[in-house]
Amino acid sequence: MGRLLQLLLRNGGFVTFLLVELVCFAIMVNFNGRQGEIWANTTGIFGGRALEKRQMASDYFGLYETADSLAHIVDSLQARLSNARQMQVPIRDTFFLVNYDSLSKTDSVRRKTVRPQFEFITAKAIKNSISGANNWLIINRGSLDGIQPDMAVVSPEGIVGIVRHVSTNFSLVMSVLHQQAKISVALPKQKNAFGSLTWEGGNPREMILRYIPQHFVVQENEPVVTSGYSLMFPLGHPVGKVIGVPKPDPENPYFLEIRVRLNQDMSTVRDVAVINNLFRAELDSLQLNIKSNER
Amino acid sequence: MNGSNITPHILRFIGLVVVQSLLLNQMTDTVGAYFNVLLYPLFILFLPLQMATPYLVLLGFAIGMAVDATVPSWGVHASAGAFSGLMRGLALMPFAPKGGFSAKDPIFAPARMGWQTFINGATLFMVCHIFWYFSVSYFAPVFVGEILKKTLAAWVLTMLFVALYTAMFNPKK
Repeated sequence: MGRLLQLLLRNGGFVTFLLVELVCFAIMVNFNGRQGEIWANTTGIFGGRALEKRQMASDYFGLYETADSLAHIVDSLQARLSNARQMQVPIRDTFFLVNYDSLSKTDSVRRKTVRPQFEFITAKAIKNSISGANNWLIINRGSLDGIQPDMAVVSPEGIVGIVRHVSTNFSLVMSVLHQQAKISVALPKQKNAFGSLTWEGGNPREMILRYIPQHFVVQENEPVVTSGYSLMFPLGHPVGKVIGVPKPDPENPYFLEIRVRLNQDMSTVRDVAVINNLFRAELDSLQLNIKSNER
Repeated sequence: MNGSNITPHILRFIGLVVVQSLLLNQMTDTVGAYFNVLLYPLFILFLPLQMATPYLVLLGFAIGMAVDATVPSWGVHASAGAFSGLMRGLALMPFAPKGGFSAKDPIFAPARMGWQTFINGATLFMVCHIFWYFSVSYFAPVFVGEILKKTLAAWVLTMLFVALYTAMFNPKK
């Protein structure tokens, strides 16, 4: 304190000058048109630049949140898309496309008919393998996030795998590059003819589609999508496209053996979504009835 | 400063504000933008040499504010006056006798210092004041050319009036 006082006394003239100049400055910019305008423009320019820089820095540090938020939006859109595919429902003799959100809450008949079937849960792959005979992924979502075994895992580009084991915060996902993975897919250009997609090792970008009957004339580059019959994957999610000319399946000559190139490069999987079929339990119990009737 | 010593400074304050506002500023409006004579800083120059800098700054601010009130150019002359108060000691330092100014030298005037020393000191002091005045008046570095031109023109004219004023009144205290 004493030193500060000494400093002020020693430099009293300069300190007084600074204080007086501050007063003059305030008077000038407030009461003189010319100085006021220049000051307003200067503060506008520098203030704008400073705000812009601050905003850029803020945006940069907020990128993680932005990406997370975008992932949620993508999931939400994917869920809407998947559910929208279920909304084309027959009422009397006509097909109606119905927007679920537009339905009145009291319109119970239609609400039951066009109810949403799928919920998407955002996740990130934190471990992945593609070089083994049977490959697995670990995602950063677990039972706390509503993940259960046998839920499908997809990316915006294609299919990724099926949840097999769930811990509190993480889940183990059987990759589509696993020899036990069998995905029910369809060929939209062949009236949704459906078959089973499996991986038999080798090229991690290629899978084999079987059980498409011989009478379908499948062309190269035809799209392959999920069939919607598996209870895990919603109808119409992109999978890949046909490569090469389909050949008769050597194990079952009534069907074709089709090579499919996956849209999703499994070596670059990062952002994924876990699909919860909201009617899974109900559909499972129905299937149990089928089995009991067959006994 | 006792009462008898203050009186010349008060009279100088009033006289210079009146001359500056009623005569010299009107001449600028009549003759042209490059005709600027800033005589009122003589009040600061003629303040006692032993006066402490904070007082010089405050008195410079006061006379500047008085001139501003008549123009009106709020704060511009006041800022230049305060700057002159701060700079007076530095501007006159090269012209001080060995050992600095003493109590025998009440003010920086030709009657005490001789004309040549006075003109040299006043020149440096006035350049500081005029340059600061136009810098603050234009208020943007982009006008540096105009500031320098006007400073030069005003300095030449002002020094003529300084010499005239000093010869007429020959202040001694």
